[in-house]
Amino acid sequence: MDIVSLLDATLRISAPLILVGMAGLLSYQVGLINIALEGMMLSGAFAAVVFGYELGSTWLGVLMAIVVGAALGALFALAVITLRANLIVAGLALNFLATGGTAYLMDILYNQSGTLAPEGLRKLPAVTIPLLEDIPVLGEMLSGHSPLVYVSWVMVPLTSIFLYRMVVGGHIRAVGEHPEAAQTAGISVQGMQYLALILGGMLCGLAGAHLSVGDLPLFRERMTNDRGFIALAAVYFAAARPRLTAVACLLFGFFEALQFRLQLRDTALPNEFLQMLPYLMVVIALVVISVRKEWRKGW
Amino acid sequence: MKHTIHKLLAACLAVALIATGSALVPSAQAQDDYSVALIIAQGGLGDRSYNDSAFAGLTLAAAELDVNVVPIESSDPVGEAEQLLRTAAESGFDLVITLEFSHIEPLGRIAPDYPDTLFAIVNAIVEQPNVVSIMFDEHTGSYLAGALSALVTTAPDLDQVNPEAVIGAIGGVASSGIDVFLYGYLQGACDINPDIQVLLAYANDFGDPTKGREMALAMYEQNADVVFQVAGGTGAGVIEAAKDENFFAIGVDSDQDYLAPGNVLTSMLKRVDVAVYDTIERAASGELEGGTVLQYGLEEDGVGLTEMTYTRHIIPSEFVDQVDELRTQIEDGELEVIDIRVLEAEQFAIVSENPTCAGLEELRAALAE
Repeated sequence: MDIVSLLDATLRISAPLILVGMAGLLSYQVGLINIALEGMMLSGAFAAVVFGYELGSTWLGVLMAIVVGAALGALFALAVITLRANLIVAGLALNFLATGGTAYLMDILYNQSGTLAPEGLRKLPAVTIPLLEDIPVLGEMLSGHSPLVYVSWVMVPLTSIFLYRMVVGGHIRAVGEHPEAAQTAGISVQGMQYLALILGGMLCGLAGAHLSVGDLPLFRERMTNDRGFIALAAVYFAAARPRLTAVACLLFGFFEALQFRLQLRDTALPNEFLQMLPYLMVVIALVVISVRKEWRKGW
Repeated sequence: MKHTIHKLLAACLAVALIATGSALVPSAQAQDDYSVALIIAQGGLGDRSYNDSAFAGLTLAAAELDVNVVPIESSDPVGEAEQLLRTAAESGFDLVITLEFSHIEPLGRIAPDYPDTLFAIVNAIVEQPNVVSIMFDEHTGSYLAGALSALVTTAPDLDQVNPEAVIGAIGGVASSGIDVFLYGYLQGACDINPDIQVLLAYANDFGDPTKGREMALAMYEQNADVVFQVAGGTGAGVIEAAKDENFFAIGVDSDQDYLAPGNVLTSMLKRVDVAVYDTIERAASGELEGGTVLQYGLEEDGVGLTEMTYTRHIIPSEFVDQVDELRTQIEDGELEVIDIRVLEAEQFAIVSENPTCAGLEELRAALAE
């Protein structure tokens, strides 16, 4: 098995998960369970294709995916914060709206169902990094990815800096940990929650755009395929710490890439087990991490 | 006041429910013409695949034959199965064709209630005296695709292929409906080159093109240069990978050659349009009896490969001749392709646990006994 291409695939598969993971941890940090990540991501994927095609520029499509993600984040915030709708119900509603809405719009706008691959839409150009690409193994692995893969890497430290080094990030965490205390300290609880959900929506839009115009130039109904929930699981297991969340996403990506390759070999393991492997390994790895941490603290 | 609003809302809801329930099925026109209803399956019209293909056959029948046709669409053809079938039968259609595979159970149940209506179901067999079952020989069409792949993968002077005799196939899920394609493909490939390596994998998804792309790339890394996709929407990613890395993909069901000209070697066609038209023609002329199973294979043009508009001129012409020869042999009954759907579970296990040319030989030996 070619290790370089395995790791190469790992990076591609985990990129959208990392982006959504950062979105999920922002809402976690502000004390909200965001199950609407999936729907925001799907809407972003759709927006990237539609606007990328209509405006004649895939990059404008990506920009519009971010805008649509932000709008849905704001809508979700309006429902759950201002109008006090139940978080889970509102999240489910948004997911249904995204699934049905994208299929419906595809039908009325383009008279298509299933797949939307408009003629002339191009995917984002792959980025080759000068100098790095000439280094044998590392270059092959790190260079030549779709641009949003690199964006996903940058987002991890940025989220970390935002949450732990900036005042507004501190406010967000304060709201999540103790809303009443934060309010007494003069922090706008609702303001921080809006901010976290809107920023999360933007990240989801970006993740969706990566799926639809990053490596492929097409939208498919329900193409996010529960990636939002996988990322959410990563956030929970990592207790919303940015780096650990990213590690969980990378782990998932690694085992997904690995199971594709193991299916092609003569292993004694049944395919069903191999397909379960990524999910299983993430759970195991995070349990180990958490146990080790507790161990150090002393039980 | 609040109470009134609630009542009003409830009334609106009730009206909406009744309206959606009843407005679905237009009744058959009261004419002497033979009337046909076609129940559209999940995915709906506009899927550029299965449903659209059947609808094309229906439209052609309306144009060429003396029949009235009505397509029946539903937002939930699975959940509303019984209601759809009953309403269609009670509306007086002479022939009710359902494209929905999951209607196998409800159709078997309700068909005896409408002895004067002829039903037809695609892809499934329902044993009732007034039901015609329409089946396809996906295995023979896939056999030809496998044979062509095995020839092409070692062809010299083709940019899309490497010298290694490795090809692949990606299925949506592990089920007999998908495996009939994959194991037909395996048989075709092994008969051309017994030393060929055929990589088989399942995406476990019909709607995840990103996954399809990754899986195809993983196969390409293992030197597979022709990858057959039997995975619905996931397959779009397989074709995309072939385009990106310049190898060959093979399409399925409808002609997908145009999706990446020069990188889709061919498509394994399943001509639902031919079957629907033919069924209507035979039923309208009174030739078709209920209880029969119509088998659409190579001979009936029910399955087969495309014209290969974009690839015919780049591959050696003797390959095309050789595949045509195999086609004739299958049609003449000289060459038998195993349909895994008719195997016993333990027989299929011989090859599914060892999905290689060697496993296939074992299966053939076991069947010969």
